[in-house]
Amino acid sequence: MKANHLVRLRRISQSFFLLLFLFLVVASRLPQKVYLQYSPAVSGQQNLTLDRPVGFFFQMDPLVGLSSLISGHALIKGFLWGAGVLLLTLLVGRIFCGFICPFGTIHHLAGALRPSLKGPEMIKANQKSPGQRIKYFLLFMLLVGCLLGLNLSGFMDPISFFFRSMALAVLPGTGAAMQSLFQAMADSHVRALNLLSHAAEELVAPVFGYEPQAYQTGWFIGILFLVTLFMNRVRPRFWCRFLCPLGALLGLFSRFSFLRLQKAEEKCTGCGLCTRHCQGAATPVPGQEWKRTECLACFNCAHVCPENALSFRLGWSFGRNRGPDMGRRAVLGGILAGVSMPFLGRLDGSQAKTSDARLIRPPGALDERDFLTVCQRCGLCMKVCPTNVINPTVGEAGMAGFWTPRLIMSLGYCEYTCTLCGSVCPTGAIRSISGKEKTEKPVRIGSAYVERGRCLPWSGNAPCIVCEEHCPTSPKAIYLRKTVLDTREGKREFQVPFVDLKQCVGCGICEHKCPVKGRAAIRVIAAGETRSLRNRLLL
Amino acid sequence: MWLDDPIDRREAVKKILGVTGSLALGSAVAGHLGFSGSAVAGVNPTRFLVEGTGAREGYSIPELVARVFEAAGGMSRFVSKGDVVAVKPNISWARRPAFAATTNPDVLKAVIELCQAAGAKRVRIVDHTIHDPRRCFAITGAASVARQTGAELVYPRSSLMRDMEIRGNRLDVWPVFVPLVEADKLINIPVAKHHSLSTLTLGMKNWIGGVGGSRWSLHQDINQSMVDLAQFFKPTVTLIDAIRIMTRNGPSGGSEADVVEKNVLILSDDPVAADARAALLFGVKPAELGFVKLGQKWGLGSSDFQSLDLKRVSL
Repeated sequence: MKANHLVRLRRISQSFFLLLFLFLVVASRLPQKVYLQYSPAVSGQQNLTLDRPVGFFFQMDPLVGLSSLISGHALIKGFLWGAGVLLLTLLVGRIFCGFICPFGTIHHLAGALRPSLKGPEMIKANQKSPGQRIKYFLLFMLLVGCLLGLNLSGFMDPISFFFRSMALAVLPGTGAAMQSLFQAMADSHVRALNLLSHAAEELVAPVFGYEPQAYQTGWFIGILFLVTLFMNRVRPRFWCRFLCPLGALLGLFSRFSFLRLQKAEEKCTGCGLCTRHCQGAATPVPGQEWKRTECLACFNCAHVCPENALSFRLGWSFGRNRGPDMGRRAVLGGILAGVSMPFLGRLDGSQAKTSDARLIRPPGALDERDFLTVCQRCGLCMKVCPTNVINPTVGEAGMAGFWTPRLIMSLGYCEYTCTLCGSVCPTGAIRSISGKEKTEKPVRIGSAYVERGRCLPWSGNAPCIVCEEHCPTSPKAIYLRKTVLDTREGKREFQVPFVDLKQCVGCGICEHKCPVKGRAAIRVIAAGETRSLRNRLLL
Repeated sequence: MWLDDPIDRREAVKKILGVTGSLALGSAVAGHLGFSGSAVAGVNPTRFLVEGTGAREGYSIPELVARVFEAAGGMSRFVSKGDVVAVKPNISWARRPAFAATTNPDVLKAVIELCQAAGAKRVRIVDHTIHDPRRCFAITGAASVARQTGAELVYPRSSLMRDMEIRGNRLDVWPVFVPLVEADKLINIPVAKHHSLSTLTLGMKNWIGGVGGSRWSLHQDINQSMVDLAQFFKPTVTLIDAIRIMTRNGPSGGSEADVVEKNVLILSDDPVAADARAALLFGVKPAELGFVKLGQKWGLGSSDFQSLDLKRVSL
């Protein structure tokens, strides 16, 4: 195949996979018109699920599959896709990086649309540099960490990174901006603007939802994303060259690939175009050795060469292939860091002693130790949650659990029969449970307790039964008793709430709906969660 | 801030039109302008109440709905050609219909079809749900009703909540779910069930689902809040769904053991009388219900439903 055909094919493939990725990010939510395929008549206890394969890119990502395998000793759903990508890389090099990876594509776009470096500067920037070993350091650190039971790969895995950035920062940020615009229009006294605002809201609601979404540390996730994009001005595909642990993994596998770059040295005029357009800094220029493990398979070099001095061929070259330039220090450093991380992560005692009371994991989440062996921190459960209750942690789960999911009841609550988070989790850190199991077993995520000093009736201030009214279990975990209390005006009778821990599942709707805002008078703590034996409350 | 803006001009005009319209119809009286109900308190012989009972095994719910409306003079008495009709079911909880926490989808569907047959230009299903609206729509069956009838299911959202003057005894300005006030006709279709504070959730209580804002604080004076809202919304007609009623663990329920089959529908243009009649299904005396007493006191209707133009149909 000619190089210009390959480049065209690459662009089509990159566009396709980037659009597919973005589509699946958007589709990771209960659709506004969910009823189109749901009928209560036939369903009985049918669970609401998504009909799009929203976890597809995670299945295709061998780093997700491999890290879960090493760390959690489990094969993830659809792991064969990832195995296929590894096989493809074994045969023809890092095609995944050049043709498929949506995060790579967005960096490719950012670097190529308006390059900041001109001519010779770009040639200089595209020289292979020792910094490219950093990604091998990261890969070894992550994999060794996995071996010792702490899976941190989600921080740096490109699919997780990109999904988290889009779902928790870019989409909600854009949505909030649009919402304030529409509100301003709806508020106007010009009828045309009112109507336009309604039409616009109807149009964008399927993507952004009707209400603003909140994610703690969303701003930080967004800034990190912008920084990685900006770095393309310093080095094209900075992320892919220097940081991407998946790129490093595929680099290792591409060592024996059949893809070869044939260099006709006699034709070369030394114009430097090939290096200028090289995405991976893989020294395509004739006269030097091509670094196959750094090559992102973009095929630009052969495409731009005016003398046709470069061409890609498939051929058996076993034995002649050089391994990746990892550097011994990067490998040893990575192993050392990987050994230390899991132990450092346990120093906060959250696994061996008591974890934070606020660490309420989604329903079906594995026990904390197992959970941290597989959670990718990708944000898929957070994106899909219909009430926006699932948020990334900051310190609640310690360093080892940074950005893993946690329920914040002031932002939402866990819908009694909803099991969406577990149904989409790509690695099974949240088990896929049925609504029946969730409510009948039941799967508890915590327990509620009343703080009487704040509670309106308990403090003798006003009648209120909101927590009891919303309690979804049957019989209700929150029950009322008539009690005579002293008030300023003398004795008055109130219905005051109590919690029956045998019934409470910790869904948090009581805390969410409690009229005492900010710090509710009834709150849910993790104690009593089903997933943890240590955290069990009642015998 | 824009959110705190009171009602705007367009809505003010609509409301005034609504008031004059209802006066012209000679139906409900004490109203938006807040005049006291003392002048009209007591018996209103022009009002009616129809009780429909599905006595026979395997009776058809749509047929019962149709017969109940027929007895009241047909749907065309309430809905005119070209009307935009808002129906307000109670679909607050993402519960299956069998739990009787939400309005029976068969009743909802039958009412919508009657409206459409009477020439309604558009029928909207409007409820500000408590659980996530998407899950409520799907699980209560409201969504499949919308799909089968072509009625519009309005997604509740903050942009459709507008601060309006309730001019009640207790409530002053409150965010209101706009499609309810913008409709030409408003049909209230609550389900009859237990409630831990107001004892029962019937027709007047259903209007808590017609507003936004900090609804939880309404519970501090629940009966007066209900009456204020019922007075503000002033439905064209109320159809209480007591096909299945939830007798305890209300208002959310969640167990079929709490549910009793009554196979009754109550249709009335008097919201207080409808609630008073429905209370008897639970063995509760109307006089024990704070909102019924207050509703009568504020001139919303009569708790003595026997004094109305009373009709019974049975299938």
